[in-house]
Amino acid sequence: MGHNGVIKMDTKDIKVCVLRIEGTNCEDETNEAFRMLGASAETIHLKQLTSDVSPAMRRKLEDYHVLAFPGGFSAGDYVRAGAIFAARMKSALAGDLKKFVEAGKPVLGICNGFQILVELGLLPAMGQTMSEFPQSALYTNDSARFECRPTFLRHDNKGKCLFTSQVPFGKVLMIPSAHAEGNLKFPSDLQNKYLEKLEENDQIVFRYVNPNEDEISYPWCPNGSISQIAGICNEGGNVLGLMPHPERVMFRLQHPDWTRSKECPDGAGDGRAIFQSVLDNVKKSF
Amino acid sequence: MLDLKLAKKRDVPFSLYDIDIFSASDEELKEISSKLGLNLSLQEMKDVRDYFQSKNRMPTDVEIQSIAQAWSEHCCYKSSKVFLRENIFNTPTTGVLSKGDAGVMDFDDDYAYCLRIESHNHPSAIEPYGGAATGIGGIVRDVLAMGAQPIALVDPLFFGEPDLKEVPAGTKLPKYLIKGVVGGIRDYGNRIGIPTVAGGLFFDKSYTGNCLVNVGCIGFLRKDKLLNNSVKGVGDVLILVGGKTGRDGIHGVNFASAELHERSEDESRGAVQLGDPIMKEPTIHACLEANDKGLLSGIKDLGGGGLSCVVGEIALAGGCGAVVQVDAVHLKEEGLAPWEIWVSESQERMMLAAPKENVDAILDIFKMWDVPAVVIGEVVDEQKVTLYYKNEIIYELDLDFLTKGPEYCRPCAEAEDIPKTAVKKPQIPGDLGSVLLSLLSDPNIASKDWVIRQYDHEVRGNTVIKPLQGDVSHPGPADATVIRPLPGSCRGLAIAIGVNPWFTGLDPLKGGKSSIDETFRNIVAVGGRPHALTDCLNFGNPEKPEKLYEFREALKGIGDMAKALDLAVPSGNVSFYNETTYGSVLPAPTILGVGIVEDIRKCVTTDFKEEGNPVYLVGQTKDEMGASLLWRKFGGEGGDVPDSDPQELSANSDIVLKAISEGIVKSCHDCSDGGVAVAVSEMCIGGNVGFEGTLPENLPAEVSLFSESNSRFILEIDANQESKWKELAGSRAQKIGELKGDKITFGKEISISVESARDAWSKPLWDIMG
Repeated sequence: MGHNGVIKMDTKDIKVCVLRIEGTNCEDETNEAFRMLGASAETIHLKQLTSDVSPAMRRKLEDYHVLAFPGGFSAGDYVRAGAIFAARMKSALAGDLKKFVEAGKPVLGICNGFQILVELGLLPAMGQTMSEFPQSALYTNDSARFECRPTFLRHDNKGKCLFTSQVPFGKVLMIPSAHAEGNLKFPSDLQNKYLEKLEENDQIVFRYVNPNEDEISYPWCPNGSISQIAGICNEGGNVLGLMPHPERVMFRLQHPDWTRSKECPDGAGDGRAIFQSVLDNVKKSF
Repeated sequence: MLDLKLAKKRDVPFSLYDIDIFSASDEELKEISSKLGLNLSLQEMKDVRDYFQSKNRMPTDVEIQSIAQAWSEHCCYKSSKVFLRENIFNTPTTGVLSKGDAGVMDFDDDYAYCLRIESHNHPSAIEPYGGAATGIGGIVRDVLAMGAQPIALVDPLFFGEPDLKEVPAGTKLPKYLIKGVVGGIRDYGNRIGIPTVAGGLFFDKSYTGNCLVNVGCIGFLRKDKLLNNSVKGVGDVLILVGGKTGRDGIHGVNFASAELHERSEDESRGAVQLGDPIMKEPTIHACLEANDKGLLSGIKDLGGGGLSCVVGEIALAGGCGAVVQVDAVHLKEEGLAPWEIWVSESQERMMLAAPKENVDAILDIFKMWDVPAVVIGEVVDEQKVTLYYKNEIIYELDLDFLTKGPEYCRPCAEAEDIPKTAVKKPQIPGDLGSVLLSLLSDPNIASKDWVIRQYDHEVRGNTVIKPLQGDVSHPGPADATVIRPLPGSCRGLAIAIGVNPWFTGLDPLKGGKSSIDETFRNIVAVGGRPHALTDCLNFGNPEKPEKLYEFREALKGIGDMAKALDLAVPSGNVSFYNETTYGSVLPAPTILGVGIVEDIRKCVTTDFKEEGNPVYLVGQTKDEMGASLLWRKFGGEGGDVPDSDPQELSANSDIVLKAISEGIVKSCHDCSDGGVAVAVSEMCIGGNVGFEGTLPENLPAEVSLFSESNSRFILEIDANQESKWKELAGSRAQKIGELKGDKITFGKEISISVESARDAWSKPLWDIMG
């Protein structure tokens, strides 16, 4: 790891891997979010990292600085959301992935990407880099419905997460949700212990709040997640998973109520700080 | 075994029959048509016989099935073509780049967009979830076939009254159908990652037995990547890609071209296809990648009629024919008869035409995506399709004969033949405040957020004006949504729907015109300039003269308006036979319109913004209450339906667009169902602010409040720029009030709280659907 505050590389030299399989469907906007901030983002198929593709198509995970799992319905989400993607990846790339995370390189999972990170054991991964079995699950929303709606996230991370270093503690961001399975749960007997540990480790990054920040209720917590958690990071702070979609609010005019706002429509949207934070951190570190 | 004595099994190691239509009597011809599920008329059977007599051989079951597909109403528009030619095919060509599986229009110098809408009514009435899902699959393929990336879905839906508790035999409860259809659209649309951005929910008892599921799609492409749905010539091969072929969706088009009846479910379940979005999603990528690399001559989607339609059409479009190995087709299960393979409508399949030398590169791309792709045939000079199955010739048809199909000028009633509905005035309660609340809670007006929130309307990240607008805690409705197809660009596409079945039922001509008027003003209301239209015409049985009359008149209304407004209609769809034994549906000429937004940063939404701003009504309110929500709700019948004058519409729209582009409009809403009172209330709900209004003296209060006259808009004007606005609008606009407090008031007639309006508007669908 590099030296804090010293910029060692240009943004354009940051190579971002946006990884997909069939049914992943938010790769274009996720790629664009990194690209519009100047990074070199490449969208590739998992097979390009794992199996028999032509040499020209072959890619190595270690050549990238950032790994992003976009949203969607990978492989249809027919088993458990994210489970098939995770199983395919883990069977072929567990070692590479572990090395990537242990090198401190950032990994982002949005929506289905978060579900994949949980299935991979990269989140919450308490006490280790990658747990053998998932320690938590993202269950069906309490409403039993797909919920596409604006959600407000309070930044609760005290400074560990590489993706939120430019978001002040306690700041509320409007980042929209669109999922049917975002209800974070732990094994019931370990629930309190896990929650305490997450707090202690500073692994909680975002919680859903009401727009006026009073008591939280449906639909503002759209899924019934434990402790209203919307996003968590690993102990190292370099792996972030969240259900809402920051890549959908890179500009103010992607917000649902921008025509009511005095702010410039093509100014920054609330999601941009997440991508900007991680790119700036990578520039300082590698 | 085929239970038909005139079918002679050929001595080959697979199922193949020669059908002896030469010796068949008229009765036997009818029997053949019915037993083979052909849905061909006696005269059509005789035409088939004449053709084969001239060839001096009997048809195979594959051939006769194939002809039945090609000649179905669904495929060849045999009852509608004569009217389409008169009214739609001659609409303006401004901005049109192609009229293929989807219409393609100019976007800017380098890019184009395409649009198409079609129906999936009968499958959805039988199996709502699968029917609706495969409807989405089909419309997405139409867009993909132009070489375009699908970027938005639009789904207007029509059901019986949602709280209905009992239905006739063979019919499903509307609530069940709504859940199924919305679920099908949700699970397919969300999984393939295309945002569902607009639509509509219409409730009327006439849709109880025959719901309407219309599905639209917008695509986007670079102009130099535009594909035709045709082969380039000899040297091209045909590659079938995507899902495997199975027994699902056999005789879908024939089923779509007949009325539904009590036993439809049992008899036609097999006509409904099975959708697989996770096959479709990579198929889209692979097709677009192959096109992007310049490897393709053309693409066409496999929809109605399956291979039997696509092969002939893609070859003939390039002036050629084709030879196909039917046993090369990849199957879901063994044991399909050749005719089943040939007419199956299994989903997620596309036909690619490409030069032979590109085949390896194309197959590599599909392998990368794990999508099956198989070369099944090649293009030949002669305009004929020949099929082989295990080296046996099983089919040899001239394309001219196969694809020309019959065309009918069926008897059509005239206006004087149609009995006029006697005018019966409604019994309107004295308290117009409670009348307004009851209109707001009518399922046709009430919030559709129960549906909208189940669709991912933001995936792809380009939905800049959303289907729910206003304060995030309690948004109001939208007139149109806006997509920004190019990241970083300010140019946008406004997308909207317009249709009024009640107007069309009472006065089809004015109903047709109104559907265009409504679509047009929905687009204008967000700041878009209407640019192209596509239609999905849902009507009854065309063999009934009074139903064909409805179709002809509505089509005339649409054609006249499109021409007067200089709008292209580069694609469209006709759905007839929307009838059950309990009657015909209210006719629904659904229009999907697209407008160009020059600068998305100037778009406006429907929600009122700020206390103190004046509110204006643009356009004239008239006493034309026939088929209005007010009359329907309170027992009115007959009467005059709102007419539309394209000159008025244009002039009013120009003022609105100018004012929006100059930034003096703070919010804008078109005035339609429920009139001024409902439109203003919806703007208050989304803006969480009250309105204090007056009523003009020259009209009865219920007319100025609830008339649904066309070509009108309600605008909130920036108080600081009111004089500029007055100068711009002149006599076309009148001030109707200003934003103030937390009540909605109109003179002494109405005074209700915004809160009560919101309750009335936002709860009904949730209460019914749960």
